[in-house]
Amino acid sequence: MEVIKRKWAYAAVAALLIFLILLPFDWFLGRYTFLMVFIGINTIVTIGLCLLMGYTGQVSLGQAAFFGMGAYVSAILSKTYDVNPWLAMLIAAASTGAFAYVIGYPVFRLKGNYLAMATLGLGIIMYILFRQMAQYTGGPDGMGGIPYLSIGGFVFDTPFRRYFLVWFVCLVIILISQNMIRSRTGRALRAIHTSEAAAQSIGVNVTQFKVKVFVLSAVYASVAGSLFVHHLRFVSPQPFDFLASVTLITMAVVGGLASIWGAIFGAATIKLISDEILVELGQVNAKLADLDVVIFGLILMLVMIFMPKGLFVSLRDAFDSWRKKRALRGVKS
Amino acid sequence: MRQTILDVKGLSKAFGGLTAVDNVDLSVEAGKITSIIGPNGAGKTTLFNLVAGVYMPTTGEILFEGKPLGTTPPHKRAALGIARTFQNVLLFDNMTALENVMTGQHPRSRYGFFEAALRLPKAHREEETISLNARKYLNLVGLGMYGDRNPLSLPLGQQKLLTIARALATEPRLLLLDEPGAGLNALEKQSLSELIRRVRDMGITIVLVEHDMDLVMGIAEWVIVLDSGQKIAEGTASQVQKDKRVIAAYLGEEEVIE
Repeated sequence: MEVIKRKWAYAAVAALLIFLILLPFDWFLGRYTFLMVFIGINTIVTIGLCLLMGYTGQVSLGQAAFFGMGAYVSAILSKTYDVNPWLAMLIAAASTGAFAYVIGYPVFRLKGNYLAMATLGLGIIMYILFRQMAQYTGGPDGMGGIPYLSIGGFVFDTPFRRYFLVWFVCLVIILISQNMIRSRTGRALRAIHTSEAAAQSIGVNVTQFKVKVFVLSAVYASVAGSLFVHHLRFVSPQPFDFLASVTLITMAVVGGLASIWGAIFGAATIKLISDEILVELGQVNAKLADLDVVIFGLILMLVMIFMPKGLFVSLRDAFDSWRKKRALRGVKS
Repeated sequence: MRQTILDVKGLSKAFGGLTAVDNVDLSVEAGKITSIIGPNGAGKTTLFNLVAGVYMPTTGEILFEGKPLGTTPPHKRAALGIARTFQNVLLFDNMTALENVMTGQHPRSRYGFFEAALRLPKAHREEETISLNARKYLNLVGLGMYGDRNPLSLPLGQQKLLTIARALATEPRLLLLDEPGAGLNALEKQSLSELIRRVRDMGITIVLVEHDMDLVMGIAEWVIVLDSGQKIAEGTASQVQKDKRVIAAYLGEEEVIE
């Protein structure tokens, strides 16, 4: 049964890869290329949240802070100080990771609701800093003219090129996250989720592993932030506000908190709702575009109540049991 | 002199006004099965938590293999060779039975995030050893065929055996069992006793806290009796059973009317 299951999983991954490769061509879904870059970027942040929340059981309501940190460090270094964008991306990831490490130890003295409040506060503080440190960040108006990424003479100056760059990074992050979850480290994280007392009793340094996964999720968010500014060539505080953190959590929940592949599904679903359906509605009546808060809140509630494992995981489980039933019927007849 | 693995000296633990463990001295002989018994609220589980490092003592000290444990945190005590199980099982329900036991190998493996993420040979090698050892312990407790099952889908008796397998996977020299017999039927208790003896024969010292007197009297080679946080008696099972203070603690004091 396990072998058959794995066969189906490989087939699904292969199908997804083919779909992703063909998608940006004009004769297929080319008009969504620009949007798909954003979906890839959101997927990267969501994977970090899945590792932190879904596997380790630690909530973060301030993930947009790290996303924004990566974005601003990349933007300021590459534009204002003419640093090579790749180097800027590396510096952004390292400094965001270091920042998460330093605040991780005090933050993870807290649990449950208190941890949620602390991370919420972190998100709000960072958002205020992005707005107020105007001489560096451009303040609420933001800053433009951020250079494109390039390799040698090859410049990622079209959405088509950036699409492949972002999804390459995204798939690499999926791969290493999957490997990690199935490893000694991954088991320690999942152990912490169920019982910290039991995890300690078998030698897991609970605080250290919580901080580690927090740093990892911050680095993922930072890399996503860097890709974001080099895609849009513009940065402003708004994409990193509190609603952004909630949207990211909604993506993780829709995908299924404890599912890495689900992150793509969650990010795509929520991004399509906010950028396609709500924008369409906004053209009918401007007030309808502000419904996103209500809709995401509703999705979050409904999924948590009716499909606590997430939409993606529930659909996958339903497919598995349907196949199992069919196989059993085949044996009987 | 007989060799001890665990020495507790003048150990006290107070929670606010309540002294749960009160000036206890005891020694556990290496390679033996020692049982700590006592009525409800006698401080047995508190004593366990002190040895495992969940609580820090108010006064007194605990020596493991002659070295004071001091303020060593629980996860480091596991690495030193002290393993434990819990009254309320606490299995990891987000992984398979085999993975639960594999998690127990944590302190005996080293590879970290980078080796895992990039699937370096070191990760591969260690992972092979981990799963081989985990299967060995799963087979030892007789759950070899349930490796792929979710631990919570197993009956309570097997869940308790699984927690023992998980604790054994940390390759301890001292194993603390907190009420392993609670909630088990007669048959399950019998196989539990056999398992505990087999673990002892592997050279692992066992200390168990247990309410079930039949189980204790059947396997314990040394019994320590606690009441109201104090040690009131110790000896072999039959010695303790005859001790007046033990009988009084369990059945109530005989009123002396003058």
